[in-house]
Amino acid sequence: MNVPEHLRYTSDHEWARGDSDGVRIGITDYAQDSLGDVVFVQLPTPGRRVTAGESIAEVESTKSVSDIYAPIDGIVSEVNQELTDAPQRLNEDPYGEGWLCVIAPDGDSPLAPLMDADSYRGLIEG
Amino acid sequence: MSAGAETLRLSPLDAAHRALGAKMVPFGGWEMPLSYPKGTIAEHMSCRSGAAAFDVSHLGTVRVQGPGALSTLQSAFTNDLGKISPGRAQYTHLLDDADGSVLDDIIVWWVSDERFDVMPNASNTTRVRAAVGGADVTAERAVIALAGPSARVKLAGVAPAAAAVGRFRVETFIWRGATCLAAGTGYTGEDGVECAVPSGIAREFWDAVVDTGFTPAGLGARDTLRLEAALPLHGHELGPGITPLQAGLGWVVAWDKPDGFPGRAALEREREAGPRRRLAGIVSDGRQPPRAGAEVLAGGSSIGEVTSGNFSPVLGRGIGLALLEGTHPPGTAVEVDVRGRRIPATVSALPFVDKKL
Repeated sequence: MNVPEHLRYTSDHEWARGDSDGVRIGITDYAQDSLGDVVFVQLPTPGRRVTAGESIAEVESTKSVSDIYAPIDGIVSEVNQELTDAPQRLNEDPYGEGWLCVIAPDGDSPLAPLMDADSYRGLIEG
Repeated sequence: MSAGAETLRLSPLDAAHRALGAKMVPFGGWEMPLSYPKGTIAEHMSCRSGAAAFDVSHLGTVRVQGPGALSTLQSAFTNDLGKISPGRAQYTHLLDDADGSVLDDIIVWWVSDERFDVMPNASNTTRVRAAVGGADVTAERAVIALAGPSARVKLAGVAPAAAAVGRFRVETFIWRGATCLAAGTGYTGEDGVECAVPSGIAREFWDAVVDTGFTPAGLGARDTLRLEAALPLHGHELGPGITPLQAGLGWVVAWDKPDGFPGRAALEREREAGPRRRLAGIVSDGRQPPRAGAEVLAGGSSIGEVTSGNFSPVLGRGIGLALLEGTHPPGTAVEVDVRGRRIPATVSALPFVDKKL
């Protein structure tokens, strides 16, 4: 499974990356492989205030539905509208075009509590 | 259908699936392929436009034979074997005598005069044996379902006699010295052939089929295909409390068989009163699937429940089968309560995808 070095991870198999406009999040390669073909994504509404651990989205595959949890506290500033018509981007490019949303974080170092690539690799290979 | 801690049965093709990189899941007491690396949607589309191969060895085979076999089956199941003859297959039901509920839906392969191979659902084999006796020969064979518009052409290169079997016909064929059975039956809405081959040559047969260009397809695609074709799945559209009449399968019931069948009295009462609910199709306005258990509403009031739902790769929308009370013709606007959100949908004619077989 592909686990890029430069990203941070959660135990719910999401990734997060600090960009200039906020923290971009998505699901990991491991998550998309476990889900199978994604057929529908319910995105959060931009402007919504979210708390770490809160369910903010749903990703639905031919076999199941999974909740997506906010990895950090903040405000949803942008969502990937392309997923509405092309949810398969989550399978094809989970770390790129399959990103889910951007959260404007509350704190200064929002990614600090998240796992680094080594720890996440340990989790999925454990 | 999770089997919990019990030991799962393995198909004679288990190693072949693992070699192909299949995701294996528990299903009806068996461990079977859910999908291969191409994924469920690609497998589905291969079956709709080309040819797909499914391992369905988890279906039971109960062999009922001898001079009393015909009358045993005639008095146990709803359909009338008098409408067919040896060398043909028939879809039929086993009902609960008390209320006409469908205990199992079954395909009977009438192999020869006094031999019937009865094929129940994986988890219902014991129940069907209790009704008709016979020998459980499930472990002796693999069943490989080949389906799709080019399935017969491709199969002709592997087993020409099997490829030539007619719709709902059953024929013996010899493959590399082994006696096998081919039936023109399936569960995808596509034309195709199901082959029962002895376990000892199952791997060889499967490999030959895959090498000739059939796309291996798992239970995931089997489910989305049968849903588009509006074919019922026991435990969803059929089961406790659900009769053949509610499921829209009245044609499976031979009312006038001389000896009747268990459940006939209950079913006659329902026919006179009219079924309180009927199976209908639901198409989401968007991609989101209605899911089993979701409530269906019209004008804000509950009218029934979704029995199966998923994404239709052909339509590009969510589709579902639902048991609805009252009259709701195709085109009726409804809502489906999916985990607390009401999504707009429309009642649809069935099947959702019709290949006019």
